[in-house]
This record gives sequence, structure tokens and C-alpha cells, in this order.
Amino acid sequence: MIEVRNLSFGYRKRKPLYKDLNLSLPTGSIYGLLGKNGAGKSTLLKNLTGLLFPSGGNINVNGFVPSKRLPSFLETIYFIPDEVHVPALTIERYRNLFSPFYPSFNADQFHQYLDLLDVHDKGKLNTLSFGQQKKFIIAFALACNTKILLLDEPTNGLDIPSKIKFRKLISGVFTKDKMIFISTHQIRDLDNLIDNVIIIDNGELLLQASISDIARKLSFRVVEKLPPENELLYSESSLKGYSVVTENQSGDESKVNLEFLFNAITGNPQRSKSIFSTK
Amino acid sequence: MNNIFSFRRFGLLLKKTIAERPLQTVGVIALLLFLTLMMYGVVKKWSDINAAQTLTFIWGLSGGGFFLASLVFNYFGTNASGSSYLTLPASYFEKWLCGILIAGIFYPLLFVFFYHLIDMGFVTAYHNSLDPGSIYYKEQYEGTDTFELSGQIAWRVYAMFFMFTGAMFTGSLFFNKMALLKTGIVMSLVFIVLFGLNSLISVSIFPDVKDAGLFHHVVLAVGEEEGTIVLPSRAENIFHYGIAFIIPAILWITSLTRLKEKEF
Repeated sequence: MIEVRNLSFGYRKRKPLYKDLNLSLPTGSIYGLLGKNGAGKSTLLKNLTGLLFPSGGNINVNGFVPSKRLPSFLETIYFIPDEVHVPALTIERYRNLFSPFYPSFNADQFHQYLDLLDVHDKGKLNTLSFGQQKKFIIAFALACNTKILLLDEPTNGLDIPSKIKFRKLISGVFTKDKMIFISTHQIRDLDNLIDNVIIIDNGELLLQASISDIARKLSFRVVEKLPPENELLYSESSLKGYSVVTENQSGDESKVNLEFLFNAITGNPQRSKSIFSTK
Repeated sequence: MNNIFSFRRFGLLLKKTIAERPLQTVGVIALLLFLTLMMYGVVKKWSDINAAQTLTFIWGLSGGGFFLASLVFNYFGTNASGSSYLTLPASYFEKWLCGILIAGIFYPLLFVFFYHLIDMGFVTAYHNSLDPGSIYYKEQYEGTDTFELSGQIAWRVYAMFFMFTGAMFTGSLFFNKMALLKTGIVMSLVFIVLFGLNSLISVSIFPDVKDAGLFHHVVLAVGEEEGTIVLPSRAENIFHYGIAFIIPAILWITSLTRLKEKEF
């Protein structure tokens, strides 16, 4: 469970990145954190892991204050940053040295995940390609079985087959007692993976809703003629006419297109907040 | 669970730290000891054994400690390694202690032991090289002995070691990149300011200052002679304990609090 109350944070005192941000994220979901470059996605993740400290407000993760970085807290989370760090160790040596810090680490699962992600190298980890290193860390993090897994741009550096395997793996290992939090600007990589969407822009929470809630409240359609401006949240010309996002007034649920959703929400922040009652 | 210190967790952390970066721990220590041996030999050859003993002890212990201290918290050069280090499930105290143990305890103990061994070797070789038939034999033999590890010079070097390593521990947690260079510059600036301050104060108080150096070192010209200013014993004690214990302690503790509050 993650509770964020009135979070304020800024790298410079006079230029806050977040001001009074509120989030309540129960376990049992895969959250997608979406935002433009520089929107503060990584900063939020770092606040949640205790790498950065809020200048105001409170953060509570699994009943802990992250900034204290207590071992009993750190055992319950695993954070994979955008760039991964692997020392000059073999896979087995790494496992022997790092896994004892995580009480729920499962060696069988670890090897199974490595197989699934095609990481079989017997040499030193630092000689692997960036993509292989990233897949190795993802496999290790998943095998640690921490309650919360935070991934910052996890698909950066992965090739297309690896991205597919990554999605399969995440959805395969997810259980209701865990929370997976994925931050990315590569929105398509999260298709069919996440069940909750969080969109932030300019340090402001624009949307926090489940995919089913979004499908109930918004309509994603392809139309020949554009609807009136006041109904429209986003439109894009396509081969068959226009792909549009509007408020769902018919009650029929359509498949949520994350890219269009992102453009609709960031293009109409106030309207979106009112539709989803975002505080 | 004990969130401050656990022997099991600390053991795992120490093992991980050494195995993960063997070159930056064991390798550097071995290199420093090798350089100590080389330095002793070179200085002895170009000067004499007493100079070799003193110089090697100063540079090996305080210089080597300073260099090694720059490596033990050297995780913050990249986002990935800094995040990995800070989010590893061990307490900030255990992480600090691990660095302190390697550069602040293991190294000086190992250095002093190694130094004493090579010192004994060189001194024995020197004694053996003397001609027992020479009229200067006794004088030459007794004029050179192993470096006194509990002598006045040694204690000054221990104080330097604790101050330099403390400054480097703190510096490496303030500066994410090129901590060795940046801390070295900051320390040089501090010493320059102290030097200048002492000169300025002494010149403003005494008319015939001949020499004024670091801290409280002031030499006055008295006629054709010279005299060193001696502080009153109370002031001297405060100064001595401040340099030897209080400032190093502050620096070492600052590194602990800095690691606790490190944001990355």
C-alpha cells in the first residue's frame, strides 16, 4: 500500500516539482505511471523508495516512511532505475551475494525468469549488452518477491521480442498481494499489462483511475466525422477517418488506447480532473 | 528485526562489498602496500633510512588512507549504482561501518603491520651492511633503529590519518563525482585559509614575525636569534586534542549523518 499525502518536492526551493500531491495506491494492481519527459516520474519513484526526501507532506509505503531507509522497509521494495548497475560478477556469484538480503528470494523462480528472458550467459554481467543486463536485473528483482516492485522505464534498451517477454513475465508473476509500479513514456509498451493508470504533468496529478473506470467514463472510437469541439477530448486523423476520445455518454465500453488517453488527459487537464474527480 | 545493526546482515554486506569490488578494496590496499615498499626503497637510496622511514609512514598511512577512503563510498557516479547502493536492504549504519572498517580500520592496521615488517627488513639489512671493525660501527648501528610506532611523529601521523580519512569519507558523500579531486581542493583551500589566518593574526600582534605556518606555528626574530611562540598549556591542550581527536571525530560522524541523509 502506498499513501502519499500533500507531497511537495523540488530540486530547487523556488521551483517546486510537486505541490500537494495526493495518491492512494492499494496493493493488487499493476500501475502505469505516465508523464512527459521531465514531468517528474522518476522523481516520484525516488521519493517512494526513499532516495529523495519530500520537502513537505508524508509518504507511507507498506507502513514505513521511505526516507528512513530502514532495512525492514528496503526488504519489501525493489527499485529498478532507468539505467541498471551490474558489477563484474557472474550470475551465480551475484545471486549468492545479493539474494540473502531479500528473505523471500526464490532461486528456482530466478532461473526460470532468466530462461524466459533468454539470459544464459556464463560470463561476467558487466560484459553483457545493456538489454541483457536489464533483463537480468528484472529477473532478479522479480525473484526477490518484494511486495512492491518499482520500475523506471523498464523497456528502454529492450528489443521487440524482449518487450513482449517482459510483458508476459510481469503479468505471469503478478499476484494480488503485490504491487507493480511502472513508470514510462513508452506508453505502448504497457498495453494490456497495467490495470491502473496514473498520469502526472507539471507536478500535478491529472488522472488516477483503473482501466475499467477509464473505459466506463471515456470512449475511444474511430469516426468519419469529428464530433463537436465541446465533446472532444482528443482527435487524430487516421486512414478510416478520425480516432477520437470523448466522454462516454452511450455507456458502451471501448478498448482503452493508452496513447490517446495520455494525449486526451494532458491536453485537457481541468476537464479530465473533473471527469475522474481527481483531487 | 533490528533496523540499526545485525551481525548477519553486516557480514553479508561486508562480503558483498569486497567481492563486488575486489579491485577497489583488496587491489588498492595491495597496491598501496607495494607503493609503500617502493617508496621506502627509493627514498632510502636517494636520502637516508631515517628520511625513508618518516616519509613512507606519512604518505603510506595518511595519503594511502585518504585515497582508499575516496573509494569506499564511491557509488554515486551513476544513477544506477547510487540507487542500487542506497536501496540495498542494510542500514545506513551498517553501510557506513563497512566503509569505515575497510579504509579506517583494516587498512591502517594492515599498513602498520606491513610497514613495521619492511622497516625491520631494511634496518636489519642496514645493520648487516655495517663494518663491525669500523670505529663508527657502534654510533652508526645505534643511530638507526626501526621507526617508533608510538613515538611523537607516529602520533602526529595517526592524527593526520584520522583527519584526512574523515575528510575524505565526508567529501565522497558530498561530491558524487570526482570526490577525490574535489575533496583535495577543498582541503587545500582550508589549509591555505588557516595558513593565511595564522600569518595575518601573528603579523598583527607581533612586530618581528620570521615565520608563520599552519595552525599555531609562529617563529619570531629575537635579535639575531629566533624563538618559537609557545601557547599556554591549556590552549595548547585544547589545540592538540582538537586536531588529534575532536576534528577527526566530527568528520567521521559527519560522514555517518551524511550517508543517513544522502539523497540521490
